[in-house]
Amino acid sequence: MIDPSWVSGLAALLFIIGLAGAFTRKNAIIVLMCIELMLNAANLQFAAAAVHHGDTTGWVYTLFAIAIAASEVAIGLAIFLAMYGKHESITLDDVNVLKN
Amino acid sequence: MGSTGTTETIHSSVIEFAPYIVFLPMIAFPIILLFGRLFNGNKVWVSTFKEGGIFALVTMATSLLLALLLIKDYIGAYGDDSKSALHVFDWFSSAMWNGGATTTEISFGFGLYIDHITVMLLFIASFLCLLINTFAIGYMNTDPINDNRNHRFYAEFVLFCAGMLGMILADSFLWLFIFWELMGLCSYLLIGFYYERPSAAYAAKKAFLTTRVGDVFLMVGLAMLWHLFGSLDYAVVFDSDNIAAVDPASLQWALGMMFIGAVGKSAQFPLHVWLPDAMEGPTPVSALIHAATMVNAGLYLVARMFPFFGAEAMHGELVDLAFIIASIGGITAVMAASIAFVQMDLKKVLAYSTMSQLAYIFTGLGCALWLANSLDWHHDDDAHYIVIIAFGAALFHLFNHAMAKGMLFMASGAVIHEVHHAHHHLHHDDHHHTPKELYMLSDYLASKKLSTFEFFKTIDLDGSGEIDMFEFQTALKNTEVADLPPWEMGDLMKAVDLDGNGTINVPELDIVLAKIKGKTYEEHEHDHHHDDHFDAQSMENMGGLASKMPITATAMLVGSLSIMGFPLIGGFWSKEGIIANAWRVGLEDPRFFFPAACVLLGAAMTGFYMSRMWLKTFAGSPNNEVAAHVGPTNTWIKIPLFTLTFVTLGGILFAGMGFTHWAPDSGYALMSEKGLFEGIGYELGHAFANHDMFFFTLTYIAIFLGAIVGPGLALSLYGGALDEGETAKPWFTPILMLNAAIKGRYSWDNSAFATSSLSRALQNRLYFDHYYDMAMLKIVAAFSLKAAHADSKFIDGAIKTIESTSQSASTSLRKLTTGSARDYILMAAVGTLMLFALIWGVMA
Repeated sequence: MIDPSWVSGLAALLFIIGLAGAFTRKNAIIVLMCIELMLNAANLQFAAAAVHHGDTTGWVYTLFAIAIAASEVAIGLAIFLAMYGKHESITLDDVNVLKN
Repeated sequence: MGSTGTTETIHSSVIEFAPYIVFLPMIAFPIILLFGRLFNGNKVWVSTFKEGGIFALVTMATSLLLALLLIKDYIGAYGDDSKSALHVFDWFSSAMWNGGATTTEISFGFGLYIDHITVMLLFIASFLCLLINTFAIGYMNTDPINDNRNHRFYAEFVLFCAGMLGMILADSFLWLFIFWELMGLCSYLLIGFYYERPSAAYAAKKAFLTTRVGDVFLMVGLAMLWHLFGSLDYAVVFDSDNIAAVDPASLQWALGMMFIGAVGKSAQFPLHVWLPDAMEGPTPVSALIHAATMVNAGLYLVARMFPFFGAEAMHGELVDLAFIIASIGGITAVMAASIAFVQMDLKKVLAYSTMSQLAYIFTGLGCALWLANSLDWHHDDDAHYIVIIAFGAALFHLFNHAMAKGMLFMASGAVIHEVHHAHHHLHHDDHHHTPKELYMLSDYLASKKLSTFEFFKTIDLDGSGEIDMFEFQTALKNTEVADLPPWEMGDLMKAVDLDGNGTINVPELDIVLAKIKGKTYEEHEHDHHHDDHFDAQSMENMGGLASKMPITATAMLVGSLSIMGFPLIGGFWSKEGIIANAWRVGLEDPRFFFPAACVLLGAAMTGFYMSRMWLKTFAGSPNNEVAAHVGPTNTWIKIPLFTLTFVTLGGILFAGMGFTHWAPDSGYALMSEKGLFEGIGYELGHAFANHDMFFFTLTYIAIFLGAIVGPGLALSLYGGALDEGETAKPWFTPILMLNAAIKGRYSWDNSAFATSSLSRALQNRLYFDHYYDMAMLKIVAAFSLKAAHADSKFIDGAIKTIESTSQSASTSLRKLTTGSARDYILMAAVGTLMLFALIWGVMA
């Protein structure tokens, strides 16, 4: 059995990678992927905790999070399509209509 | 108001019709205004109905008739206390919380209160309204400057009459105040009748605002009276039991406040400044409002205070107020008379004379109120007689002055009218005023390169070769030259319609347009006006008119003699009474020597300025060409002059009938004690052969000053014989001969006075306007500036600081919204992290 702290550490690492990617990358799809990474880091933590405590609640949360992540990706991609239609670009720096 | 204790002693069935005295003119007001708008410029409306003048005349005649029926009853009535009240309608009622758990019901209604003072003033007002209306038809409708707007004059005129008659008949101080304000409004509108003239607009505002100062005090006084009595009904406040229940000092303050209102309305010092300027209004207005009726409202208000002063409970408590009233009168009498010395404007002399004479009446009333307040007149018959006669003398002077001054103003109007006409006749025979719109039309045609004929074809819609007013109006509107309402088309039509058939044809339009072609309106009007500084009201442009306007000259002479107090003529009887009573009070209360000396001095001054006015206008040779070409007046103007001449001459008849006893005493009937001739004999003996040595001497001093010293000085300075070949009516001959003789022998040089600083001060009306303006500038304007500064600095400043701070804060906050999604994520992450750190810190 792997020590849960290792799993938690991996989840934290994945989350930080995702967060850093979301901050720094310009391509909207990569940002989306980074967000997925952060979600999966949370899922991993849920799953590890569920195993550790022998409680199924964690699994239920994980399932919900995956379902929500899937729909979120669908919406996100739709937004990017619309964005591309309007700006001919999905680079986030080009889209700053809310500036000031 | 306060229906409590209203006794309704209906004197006769005539009183049932009395409300219509007020209602009729009130109804006529909208009718004349509406018809005037509808039929503006209509031939029948202008020539037959005199633009509403005939409507007004019929209304005022009906009012006078009803008033006379009412008066007839009161003249014959005596024995009982013939006061009548009639409740006309309920206005509204309301519940007033009286401090406890219960409420008191107060109802406000309109009713009539009729006693002898009412009846006397009712006669003055309705009689003069009718005569001045007659005069107005002859004066207003013959002056082209008034064309197509006389209906406004007549509408405001009848509304004013409704206000005056209503104020006299009202049965409470509340309604007195309401009608009082109605008169104030009409006065404002009528003074500003020539509103296009800046001086008239200014004068109207000045009159309105100055009287408003007094009115505010009147309102305060009425509120105090309400507080004391719980009602403003005459029936309640004049009740001697109710008067006995109030605190004399509070009552004195309330009446004092009301007196300030009277000072404003009657143009007394220090609120007198509006009256001379009010002469900007048309002359019938000056005659009606500023001489004969409205200015008497203040006197009426003070006369109405008599029951308070006469009440036994107030014995000796209100003498200070009586002294103030008499003193204000004394000061104004001398001040106004001295300013009248140097006025060159005919109407302004009369305006100052009005102020001075009203001041006499105030002095008379003050003395009568003092006597009523300090003599035991309820039980002592001699004292009763003294009080009644003193009060009656003041009221009789009100009557005489109203008649004489109304006549004088109308006569002055006749003179001004004819001088103006003569001037017009001499200098502007061929001049037709060309309205501005025609210049604009001319420019329009020039710019479009249209000939008159081509233009005419386009506007003559029915192809008749003639265009009427409405086609012309439409044409001007369509060409965007001018968009005029129908009632302003009159001038334009008159300027173009040369043959006067009511329509325009091609030659007419062509002639008119050719005349102004290539000129601008300003140039042309400048040409026209440069010789138009002629002042038809200035006595510089008169002189020697006695032979040309005999009726006017006679009216002016009789009126002047009456105002001067020339023996046997109208004003003599009342003026002697006022002077005698002032001295009678002066013997009892030394403070009254001041007003008494003022009125005695004023008698000589009146004699001087009235004689000066008459001589400068009617005697001597014409001052210029215009005065030499003046003609007689028209019939509409002659009728009222003729009538009032006889009323004024008949002063001795009124005196003989016991008018002075009748007017203040509702329990007394005319000729009830003595027959007419016996009465005249008694009055003559009383005036000229008084048993009391003091009053005997006083009478002759007053006559000497008023009828010999004053006029004598004027005779030696002004006037002179008429030119050779000019013949005047025989009754002018002695005056003119005396004038020529005195001027020839005793003429003296008054140029030293004319250039003195006193004369300059008088010409500047003793600098009252100057100081008032300065006070306004120093106090009101300075305060306003400070207030404006505080407003912009502190109040606006605080708000602006909040506004600018939040704006700059939001500007800097806005910088955070970069528009970049990644920045938002960063912010959210940092925020969450901080939140966690915070929670962690708290938990730990």
